[in-house]
Amino acid sequence: MTVLDLVGLSFGALRERRLRSGLTVLMVVIGVALMTSINGLGGGMNNYISEQLGTLGANVLIVTPSATTFGPEAQSGLQTKLTPQTVRTIERIHGVKYVIPSFTGGGTLKSGSESKAVSILGMDQSKVVYIAPKASFESGSFVSSGDSGGIVLGYSIAHPSNLDKPFATTGQSVFVEFSTVENQGGVEKLVTKRKAFQVRGVLNELGSQQIDSVAFISLAAANTLFAKNSVYDTIYVVTDGPDGNDKVEASITKFYGKNIGVISPKAIASTINEVMGTFIGFLSAIAAVSMFVGAVGIITTLYTSVMERTREIGLLKAIGYTRETVLLMFLTESFAIGLLGGLLGLIFGIAGAYALIGILPFGAGAISITPWFRPTDLAQVFLLACALSITAGIYPAWRASTLSPITALKKE
Amino acid sequence: MTDQGEGFAIETFDLKKTYEMGLVTVRALNGVNLKIRHGEMVSIVGPSGSGKSTLLNMLGALDTPTSGKILVDEVDITRLGERALSKFRNKKIGFVFQSYNLIERSKVAKNVELPAIVAGTPKKLRNERVHELLDLVGLGDKVNRKPHALSGGEQQRVAIARALMNEPAFILADEPTGNLDSKTGQEIENLLLRLNQEKNATIVIVTHNLELAEGTGRIIHLRDGVVEKERTGLWGHKDQVIERGN
Repeated sequence: MTVLDLVGLSFGALRERRLRSGLTVLMVVIGVALMTSINGLGGGMNNYISEQLGTLGANVLIVTPSATTFGPEAQSGLQTKLTPQTVRTIERIHGVKYVIPSFTGGGTLKSGSESKAVSILGMDQSKVVYIAPKASFESGSFVSSGDSGGIVLGYSIAHPSNLDKPFATTGQSVFVEFSTVENQGGVEKLVTKRKAFQVRGVLNELGSQQIDSVAFISLAAANTLFAKNSVYDTIYVVTDGPDGNDKVEASITKFYGKNIGVISPKAIASTINEVMGTFIGFLSAIAAVSMFVGAVGIITTLYTSVMERTREIGLLKAIGYTRETVLLMFLTESFAIGLLGGLLGLIFGIAGAYALIGILPFGAGAISITPWFRPTDLAQVFLLACALSITAGIYPAWRASTLSPITALKKE
Repeated sequence: MTDQGEGFAIETFDLKKTYEMGLVTVRALNGVNLKIRHGEMVSIVGPSGSGKSTLLNMLGALDTPTSGKILVDEVDITRLGERALSKFRNKKIGFVFQSYNLIERSKVAKNVELPAIVAGTPKKLRNERVHELLDLVGLGDKVNRKPHALSGGEQQRVAIARALMNEPAFILADEPTGNLDSKTGQEIENLLLRLNQEKNATIVIVTHNLELAEGTGRIIHLRDGVVEKERTGLWGHKDQVIERGN
């Protein structure tokens, strides 16, 4: 008997019970599609995080006022004020190349009739190249230290996806509006402030929201605009090299204790990926359960089929089909279910991941994740589906193959 | 069909079969001795429970005896392993069942070629043989029909064509006309007789139908698991040798 004959006989049997076979294939499709979608979203998420944090230099540490932003320590209010003195202290640490303090704030950027909510980063822009080595200009240049009226726009601000034309171009005037609470005569009032800036430059797209969605102004301008009183929000520490990060981090922590946060982009990426990995792993486990349910479906379908086709099996054995041939026929049926379910599952899984990106909140906003499917992941899921299907077919196939021809032929 | 000369096609020696049904032991065959020559057409008759079908199943290697010996072309099939028995059934035996046992989802052609598929016959040869056999049984124009679109008689013809697919030495038919009206039963009987005469096929038929039995060369009466008597069929071939094995 050739493979083609075997496949022909098995597909004939599956076709006879179209609805049942179709539903069983659907069970496999759901499991495979779920696993594929989850893997794709996880891969896309990892890529996004690596992309976001990878634009920062590998030898950059980020110093923040508190060690954590959540949990009891954050609630305890144990913080270190990041002041020019902090900068000077860190500068003296061995292995530190540059210390770049920064102010951050949010506001609405207005250009003509258009307006856009943006993050504003105030820093010495001659040092931006150390934090984001890949940053380059589409037009213009950075704002100099003494320029309190200049602003540099990240690519996403200058070229928002919802506008046909640029939001603002180099040389154009824009306004920054933001609200703050001020104490006026003992009464706190919400005050909206407005300041004009001239666009000095527009950055090329970096693929990182940290740079692309940020407007840069000088350190002094930000200090005044956001009334920071020279208390920095973040200090970027550029070390001699990535190998020295740990030593510098240890020195800063040793000096300030737990009241200061020192993190490296690499560590952030690693932590986030670890958390994401656990989460994706959890979801994958649920998807795997659905694949096992699919396998149980195959067992049920094939077992029922064996029961219904007992006389047929008896006939086949009577006309010379061996135990092995009957076993192979049923295993081919279960493999066919796995193969078809696996292939369709991959297609629907890939399509599903893109569909989910459109539906889930992280796909609609500024953050855009592109599902990424590692070929090895796809192959693994597909092979798992096939392997589970064959395994699920073993028992019904064995039952069919061991039927005595005379007993099978007598079955009503 | 092959002619093995003067040697017996089938011989049984003290063939016994007992079934345990709870606490009761049923003796289906109680020492059957039988000799059938090549090219002979034999019918086995007897009341229900006499062991006719059990005997036929033994001869076709569908079932194994509790004791005794079955020689088919001088090979003791009771000593063959499962794989060898499958091959034996595939190459040597063509079964015809009362209820046809056709695969409903498959077309007539597919049903007929089933034994040749597992025998490894190339597709082209299978197709040629299927058409040849369906022409022989008068169904040459119904190759692509499904069994449910055929009458009972036509379905039994398909089953006979299937039985002939691998040119077996023996055709074993269990109540081949049992589900058919008398006219159609007669047609099937004529077809089997023709196969016996033209193809020199050795045919063993189990039947309740005495008219069918009388058309065969020899009638073996079975009762309580033993051969009660044997006689020549009234309209059977005169030249067929009657043997009584004991």
